[in-house]
Amino acid sequence: MSLAFDVLLAFGVVFTAAAALGTHDRVASIAGFVVTGLLVALSLVRLGAPDVALAEAAIGAGLTGALLLRSAWRLKPAESRVSPPIDRIIVALIAVCLSGALAWAVYTAPGAALYPALVSERLAESGVTNPVTAVLLNFRAWDTLLEIAVLFVALILVRIVAPAHPQPVVLGELMLPFARIVVPMCAFLAGHLLWQGASVPGGAFQAGAILAGGSLVLMLGGFAVPTPRLLSWGMMVALLGLAVFAVAALSTEALTGTLLLYPDGAAKIWILMIEALLTLSIAAMLCLLFCGMPRRPLK
Amino acid sequence: MTTVLHALGLTLTTFGVSFLLIAALGVWRLPDVLSRLHALTKADSAGLALIALGAACLTGRLNTLLTLGLCVVLVALSGVTIGHLIARAHLSEGDLE
Repeated sequence: MSLAFDVLLAFGVVFTAAAALGTHDRVASIAGFVVTGLLVALSLVRLGAPDVALAEAAIGAGLTGALLLRSAWRLKPAESRVSPPIDRIIVALIAVCLSGALAWAVYTAPGAALYPALVSERLAESGVTNPVTAVLLNFRAWDTLLEIAVLFVALILVRIVAPAHPQPVVLGELMLPFARIVVPMCAFLAGHLLWQGASVPGGAFQAGAILAGGSLVLMLGGFAVPTPRLLSWGMMVALLGLAVFAVAALSTEALTGTLLLYPDGAAKIWILMIEALLTLSIAAMLCLLFCGMPRRPLK
Repeated sequence: MTTVLHALGLTLTTFGVSFLLIAALGVWRLPDVLSRLHALTKADSAGLALIALGAACLTGRLNTLLTLGLCVVLVALSGVTIGHLIARAHLSEGDLE
């Protein structure tokens, strides 16, 4: 029974991905992308990786879909142009080579089975009981710090390109009751995901994405106009995460002599503080990626 | 008791899935945006509610009802709102032409 479901799911992923690539309508293509993302999230649940599934659903399908729709609105309507066969063949060849290389790498790599045993052996020292959070915020916290830095670089690129701010349009009378229920729910859910990330799937990235989703409802519904002042505050909050993480790294270096090795017994409180600020910061970054940076007036 | 719950769960889930299939059929076969929306928004809220109720019966635990109920409320809410927004956008596009 579950095998039938898995096969159906696999076909669904490939089919929606093909539909997203095959259509000439940009919005339909983005809809296909979002549905593919949701199906991929579902398959990650089937593979026993609920943390990744949550992140894929919230960031991969949800917020990336919103960002793509926003860019589609900015671009001119797509020309319906059929690329010459030689182009298609080359693209197909590259894609096949890439998938082949990935499949080969996955099937021949021996190392992955090593980690669960290593992590569960030292889990008690990490301050949390969810192995994923233990890896992300303790054993390999250094990688997470760099990930936040990557998000920060994306933010700088948006600042340089300076896209136009989206113009909110009147969305009708159902928007207010919708926002009244959904926005508090998003805030509540983000807090819940952040807190439960210590013991079960959840964490800063998922919570931040949901918080950003709630803020986008406020913004697109016209309830929170992104004034330059508000955007500057958003920028400050967005920078706060990286700054606090970097300060935490330096202070652990001073306290324990090793970068991001938390003092004995205090790991939980360090992780919680860093994750709480990261949640706010990630939410602010994702919002700013959507609505653009504050601009200085031209001199 | 458990067999009754199990049977009830399977029946409810089957009804829910058929509602979703009818919604899909409606989106596929109906001629214009508004009638497609009509088919989609109603049938999918009802279908999901039935499936959630069936799933709650199948697990046989009361606390899953809360989570599933939250899912149903959120999906119904966003379905209604998005249906309204799409219909609105469609009508205002019609005015422009």
